[in-house]
Amino acid sequence: MTDARENAASEIQTVFLVDDDSSVCEALRDLIESAGLAVRHFASAEEFLRSGNSGMPGCLVLDVRLPGMTGMELQSLMADAGQSIPIIIMTAHGDIPMVRKALKSGAVEFLTKPFHDDELLQAIEQAFESDRTIRSARALADSILSRFDTLSPRERQVMELVTTGMTNKEIAATLDLSIVTVKLYRGQVMEKMQAESLADLVKMSQRIKP
Amino acid sequence: MELFAKPVAIATFFVLLALLWTFALQRTIAYPFVFLFFAAVMCSAWFGGFVAGIVAVAISSFLVEFFFIPPFYSFSIAHEFRTYVTAFILCSIGITAISATRKRSEAAVRAARDELEIRVRQRTAELERSNAEIMERELHLRQLTEAIPQQIWRTDGSGSIEYGNAVLLEYLGIQARDLAGDGFFGVFHREDAQLVKTSWETAQAKIAKFETKARIRGVDGRYRWFLVRGNPQLTADGTVTRWYGVHIDIEEQQKAQEELILSQEHLARLSRTLSMAEMAASIAHEINQPLTALLSEAHACRRWLQLTPANVDRATSTAERMVRETTRASEVVKRIRSLFSRTEYVRTNTDPNKLIRDLARLLRDEAIRRGVSLRLRLAENIPKLSLDPVQIQQVILNLVTNGMDAMAQSDGVRELEISTELRDRTEVVVTVRDSGMGLDDRMRSKIFEPFFTTKPDGIGMGLAICRSTIEEHDGRIWADSSGRGTAIHFSLRTTS
Repeated sequence: MTDARENAASEIQTVFLVDDDSSVCEALRDLIESAGLAVRHFASAEEFLRSGNSGMPGCLVLDVRLPGMTGMELQSLMADAGQSIPIIIMTAHGDIPMVRKALKSGAVEFLTKPFHDDELLQAIEQAFESDRTIRSARALADSILSRFDTLSPRERQVMELVTTGMTNKEIAATLDLSIVTVKLYRGQVMEKMQAESLADLVKMSQRIKP
Repeated sequence: MELFAKPVAIATFFVLLALLWTFALQRTIAYPFVFLFFAAVMCSAWFGGFVAGIVAVAISSFLVEFFFIPPFYSFSIAHEFRTYVTAFILCSIGITAISATRKRSEAAVRAARDELEIRVRQRTAELERSNAEIMERELHLRQLTEAIPQQIWRTDGSGSIEYGNAVLLEYLGIQARDLAGDGFFGVFHREDAQLVKTSWETAQAKIAKFETKARIRGVDGRYRWFLVRGNPQLTADGTVTRWYGVHIDIEEQQKAQEELILSQEHLARLSRTLSMAEMAASIAHEINQPLTALLSEAHACRRWLQLTPANVDRATSTAERMVRETTRASEVVKRIRSLFSRTEYVRTNTDPNKLIRDLARLLRDEAIRRGVSLRLRLAENIPKLSLDPVQIQQVILNLVTNGMDAMAQSDGVRELEISTELRDRTEVVVTVRDSGMGLDDRMRSKIFEPFFTTKPDGIGMGLAICRSTIEEHDGRIWADSSGRGTAIHFSLRTTS
């Protein structure tokens, strides 16, 4: 479990910059690089979608006004597709309803051009953090699920009953097994799921519950 | 008694004639009285009628008995002659009856014939009269079709034109026979001919009237717009016997409509320019882009230099981009300036009242939509002024829009009045007055300043532009909120 979290954190996070103004793009790229971060830029929302980077770790920095698909449209499109990449929206004119809408649909930050380096870099840092959290949660769930897949049907039943707080005796009665057999299954579940304690196992079962 | 005088006289005349002839003939033939008196009775009945006949019988009987039946010259009758006298009387009565009846029926026939003749004469006169009337009416109708300023035509049963009124033929400069068959479609503008043909063919298929607009070429080679209408004439069983057509000249209306559309487009262009909020957003974006780039580059440059060791190469290239970006920013500013730079005014001699009426016509829909009653109070003695009609219309449009906006929040009466007034013969004052909330003193002194606005989404340029336009025209603009609502006045000097 700790491995998974570290894996997610160790992946290189990239700032995906979408702005049709090449000067702005270049300047922001320069600024982001000067902070030691990886950056890739795109001239339009469509170009970004075509690049196949939408599932990559990192965050999106979007201009509201874009040729073709607008920043807001890209945001809602990605939300619909279940892509949880954090988004920072930039605008030249702080339009209050637009800010509210953007934040509601999951944008991390809303920046009004022109902005200070700290504003952008802090927003990026915050976006990376939330990206990491989302990714590690997802990675953790994935690894628990893959371990859960190795359990036999009987072991799954036992795990289910154990995590609801039943004693071995109660489980034996419910499943019509001897207490010794239940103990045996329980040991195997703990081993296969790599759980250190009963509390650990309960937490795991909560994470993979749909 | 007079009724009998004529028959009695006739009877007496014939009987006496018979008596005289009997005396005269008595020596040569035997008993001449028999047929002579019968003749007298017959003639009396014939000419005098039944009564005369009976009278003649009576007189004859007496005279015959007195003179010719023995004993002579006496009223007594010898026994052997009684039968003879009786037969004579009966025969006389019979002759009277036959003769009178014949006479009567012949008179009836003659009377009937006479009546018939009178009737025929009357009827003939009537026919002649109505014939003349029809001819006169036809003449009137023809004169009418020629007098109507519209172009009229008529087809034969096959739908081919056989008659065109003088107006039509003179306009086209051709003969009616040239319009027969497809020749008719040749008079239309190339672009419209097919439309006319199609509408008429559709109408022929449906047996209905048709109406379409088309340009028709005159004898002078110029085209004018006409409303082309065709009506089928139907028999009782619904088949078309002929078509009647009329062309109504709508060139003026068409022109006016086109002008209206043009000025509406013009107005739309004006209000596009007036949508300042949209423009401000766009300007903000334009300026913010290079500023964003510059600021980011500046920060990046500092960061490259703050690194240990400092990345001088990156810092240098960043600084170079900053220089380039500054140039670009100043270009943006230049572009925006040129956007606002005033183009030359095109002044023409314009009737301000007409200009306002034209504008009001375009504003009517908007006023109705916003529940505002728009009223004009235009003085009649307004002279023409040298002004740029587009710019002045834009000013009035701006004032009207402001007025409507001011009243949008009020629940009371929404009235907007545009008025004109000639003052001291030297200036014309145009006033736009609304029934909104009015202005306080502080606002009144500020409304013409740039960026002053009372609207949540306004940017405060409208009235500032109005003022600069009016000042360009050597006029003044001022606000007055003394009564209900707000009145914005502007004055323009007369040319004299």
